Amino acid sequence: MTETVITELNPVVPAADVLEVLGGVYDPELGIDIVNLGMVYAITVAGSAVSLEMTLTTPGCPLHSTIEAHVTQALLGLRGVQEVDVQLVWDPPWTPLSMSDVAKRSLGF
Amino acid sequence: MINLGRDSFRPHLPATALVVGAAALLGASIALLLQPTVLTQYVASPRMLALTHAFTLLFVTLVYAGTLQQLPAVMFVTKLMWPRLGYASLSTLAIGALVLVIGFGTGMRPVLLVLGGTMVCLALGAVLLQLLLTARTRPPKDPASRALITAVCYLVVTVVLGLVLAAVRARPGLAAALGYRPELHQMTGLLGAFLLGIGGSGQKLLSMFALSKGGPSWRLKAMAYLVHVCVAALVVGVVAGAGASGAAGVLAWVSLGALVAASALQVWEVVALLRRRLRKRLEDSVMRYVIGHAFLPVAGVLLLVGQREAATTAFLLGFVGLAVSGMLIKILSFLTWTAAYAAPRSVQPRPAAPQGGATGASPGPSSPPLLRQLLRPELEPLTTWTLGGGAGLATLTMALSSDLTAVASVSAVAAAIALTIGAASQLAQTLHIVYRVSTAK
Repeated sequence: MTETVITELNPVVPAADVLEVLGGVYDPELGIDIVNLGMVYAITVAGSAVSLEMTLTTPGCPLHSTIEAHVTQALLGLRGVQEVDVQLVWDPPWTPLSMSDVAKRSLGF
Repeated sequence: MINLGRDSFRPHLPATALVVGAAALLGASIALLLQPTVLTQYVASPRMLALTHAFTLLFVTLVYAGTLQQLPAVMFVTKLMWPRLGYASLSTLAIGALVLVIGFGTGMRPVLLVLGGTMVCLALGAVLLQLLLTARTRPPKDPASRALITAVCYLVVTVVLGLVLAAVRARPGLAAALGYRPELHQMTGLLGAFLLGIGGSGQKLLSMFALSKGGPSWRLKAMAYLVHVCVAALVVGVVAGAGASGAAGVLAWVSLGALVAASALQVWEVVALLRRRLRKRLEDSVMRYVIGHAFLPVAGVLLLVGQREAATTAFLLGFVGLAVSGMLIKILSFLTWTAAYAAPRSVQPRPAAPQGGATGASPGPSSPPLLRQLLRPELEPLTTWTLGGGAGLATLTMALSSDLTAVASVSAVAAAIALTIGAASQLAQTLHIVYRVSTAK
């Protein structure tokens, strides 16, 4: 499964809380949250700003802007977070091996 | 980072085209139900041609053209160029196709055929222009995207050839000069537009929906070459005026061989994608797309034993019909979901408590629904088996119509009933998806 790189610089919220909130953002096609799908590559919490590097199952995913907006919305919902920057990256590309065992099981893998 | 941008994405337009396409299929099915014996009669009768064009233009092509308002951005990973052109092209296509169908249904009225054909040509020309402009911003390298572009080129050629047929029918002078060659029109449409289009877009979509990544791409490339060979052999036969000479026989066999080989490669590609998939249980609509491929070997065998009309029916109603119907439901749920939930609602600060948690559990009650939750699940198997059964019975009817007329008459009625139920179920599903999302806003 993808290991999320976490960096904290005087954070207003612990990065663990950020990760937990991201667990409530679902890929509506697969029905699995983006953390278990292994899409979250890096989280940086610097003061009240949260920046995130994440990917999607495929470049050009039709749900691209939607998932990005839902991630932003979820993070801004965290008390104290003022600024959110979501960067979609394609390197390394997402593969099914990025998923957690829970996600793999739910897809019958 | 590539930003597809909501400014260039208008889900309502393709979604409307998909719903209208589903309604058109029901209309055509009801027309067949009112006179099912049309399946046992001359295949080029006005009523049969009207039904065929209602299916190919008002259902398949309208859904295809609607999908092309979104699919290129996904496949080429870029923005759709000139998105507003879609309003003109899709409405012209729908009206032109309707005029054409009425022209056939009212006894091949040349004015309506030429008018409708011209409108369809202009509409698909605009669709092709938009696709090429989009591709120019980020030229696609993968065979699936290239197959999609080639398929739309063939689609335009098909309607131009259809327009030429209409002109030839209207003016005897033209007929003497050009001859009357419906087989070119048919083969560019069946193979170039539909097989290649479903092969190209289907490879991308099935890979996404089944989580089937990687694998060789030579089959799709080879399929495209075989389609070119098949059409080229037909063109050479027509242009050279091979007539009844030995060359005509050779070209016919080359064309037939390429057709069968291309169809076999498409089946092989789908099987290979499924073998590599990580999502073991496919959704019903994706299964419908897959099941449609079972009609390709049926069509191939029928063609080899000389049952050309039955083979065409299996190919069109079975393969194309089920594949398009399956993808219609998947794509419509994507489009309507995006339209409803793309813009986040007002942000309310909340404590760090996940709705579903990082556990793979289901979304919380305040989260947007999953795509599959937009569907009425009982309608999907009903659509699959009635459309599939109807296609099978229609194929049987065409195969038996010359010898066992009594059996063919019964199977024609059964086919019409099954197709009507399937088309009604499909339309009910599309309306449910739209209603479900519109009430969730």
